[in-house]
Amino acid sequence: MARKQQEEAEFEAMTRPLEGIPLPDLENLPDYERGFWEGTRSHELRIQRCSDCKKYRHPPSPMCPHCHSMNYEWPGTNGQGQVYSLVVVHHPVHRAIGEKEQVPYNICLIELEEQEGLRIISNVLDVPQDEISIGMPVEVTFMPTVDDPNVVLPMFVRARSD
Amino acid sequence: MTETITPADHNAIRDRAAIVGIGETEFSWDSGKSELQLASEAIKNACDDAGISPHDIDGMVRYDSDNNTETMLVQALGIKTLRHWESIAFGGGAGNATVGHAAAAIAAGYCNYAVCFRAGNLRSNVRLGQARGPERIPGGSRSFLVPWGAMAPAHNFGMFVRRYMHQYGATSRDFGWVAVTLRHHASRNPRALRRKPITIEDHQRSRMVADPLRLLDFCQENDGAAAIVMTTPERARDLRHSKTLVLVEAAAQGSGPSIDGVVFRPDLAVAESAHTARDLWSRARLTAKDMDAFMFYDHFTPFCLLGLEAYGFVPFGEARDFVQGGDNIRFDGILPTNTHGGNHSEAYIHGLTHPQEAVRLIRGTSTAQPPKKQINRVLSCSSTAQLSAAVIIRRG
Ligand SMILES: [Zn+2]
Repeated sequence: MARKQQEEAEFEAMTRPLEGIPLPDLENLPDYERGFWEGTRSHELRIQRCSDCKKYRHPPSPMCPHCHSMNYEWPGTNGQGQVYSLVVVHHPVHRAIGEKEQVPYNICLIELEEQEGLRIISNVLDVPQDEISIGMPVEVTFMPTVDDPNVVLPMFVRARSD
Repeated sequence: MTETITPADHNAIRDRAAIVGIGETEFSWDSGKSELQLASEAIKNACDDAGISPHDIDGMVRYDSDNNTETMLVQALGIKTLRHWESIAFGGGAGNATVGHAAAAIAAGYCNYAVCFRAGNLRSNVRLGQARGPERIPGGSRSFLVPWGAMAPAHNFGMFVRRYMHQYGATSRDFGWVAVTLRHHASRNPRALRRKPITIEDHQRSRMVADPLRLLDFCQENDGAAAIVMTTPERARDLRHSKTLVLVEAAAQGSGPSIDGVVFRPDLAVAESAHTARDLWSRARLTAKDMDAFMFYDHFTPFCLLGLEAYGFVPFGEARDFVQGGDNIRFDGILPTNTHGGNHSEAYIHGLTHPQEAVRLIRGTSTAQPPKKQINRVLSCSSTAQLSAAVIIRRG
């Protein structure tokens, strides 16, 4: 890509999930991770919660790290949160990112409203990369990946009412 | 934080192990050698430096990410009997743990001569900074990172850096002073891969790779090996460097909570080595003020600032002032820092070159030896965000 084009591209917004990169193998996941992906296919952001002490946790795990209960549930969340931290990737490290000219793209750590410190990695869409900032209110949306439409990713956009 | 686990008066390894030899291979972008050859050369060089034969080695502490196994090296080096072996997980950030563990094995009498090593074609073979694939992820924390493009160390560690900048007002330019200073040190070091001095403007003009990390914030990816030979202080007095006894005074490792996947931690603006630091100072009964030099694991330059704060050289949030202009952290400054040029400019051997440089500083043989003061104690540590380790190395 010519340098000028590249500079212009830096102000482009990410509009959809990345293509050509590794995705979870939905057929072979541990049981305690399935609820998350079943939720996204139903366009609901379900986060694992301990059935006993009612604390959320992410990424999912077999046992509650607080009370050590093995019982969990998958309540839907309201999908609201804010950007806790972010990185904007300009240099691709996976071949498909470069081949499909998918840079720059952002990786955001989103803190969800449900519980302090409950965070999920995602991308913020439809916002120029240099306008995404820590503390920005966002809300969830859902998009199937190109490579496997069964893998539906929770993505985030600027919150409509903040 | 959990309470201190070790009583302050209990430090079973204190001064009971000596570092008697350091060695490395040439550092390069493409060694053209097998990793076994790299390991063999570095260990032989460290034994030569100590004045022992590889036949004398009976203890080995390796990185679990190293492709050279104990059996391969027993055979390659002609070791007669390996009395003690172990491996350290989590690579670079925990690299100093190899020295701490070898010291413990020597102090316990498990072996007479222990070697710590790391050898790899970390550029010409599989690069840590490159993502692998195509593949399907069988669950685990990667499946909650990779689908959104979080695939490289810079992506995870960049999250810490961005949060740190947000919390304390640090800027890319502040990190630039670390880059400029480390390169200045490397410019004096014939082993170093990157020796051409850079300016703060060079750093600021270097391309953004994973914003907020610029190209000149990154460590090298290269081929090479490093090794360290240790024994008891009594044996050390009969070896080649008998005039300068180099002792391991204390060691610590630490994790902090919720670290699988690196970024899923409570506070990304504080290095988890705050945990390691607390235990280290408690065991050693020392503080940052007692250290004459600071060797930190520089996978990315901002972690100099996080390390200075985690180990208490400066209060939280003030490291950006301390590194300003680079004077304080230069070899002739208040706190000589990574005088070899570090992972950033000398070579990336997964953190093992830092305790090696601590040994040189105490011997007075660094290529950026502080001119006006004798170096008696050096902290070699990581402030990384995933399982950190630290050792205090002192003049005996
Ligand atoms: Zn619970």
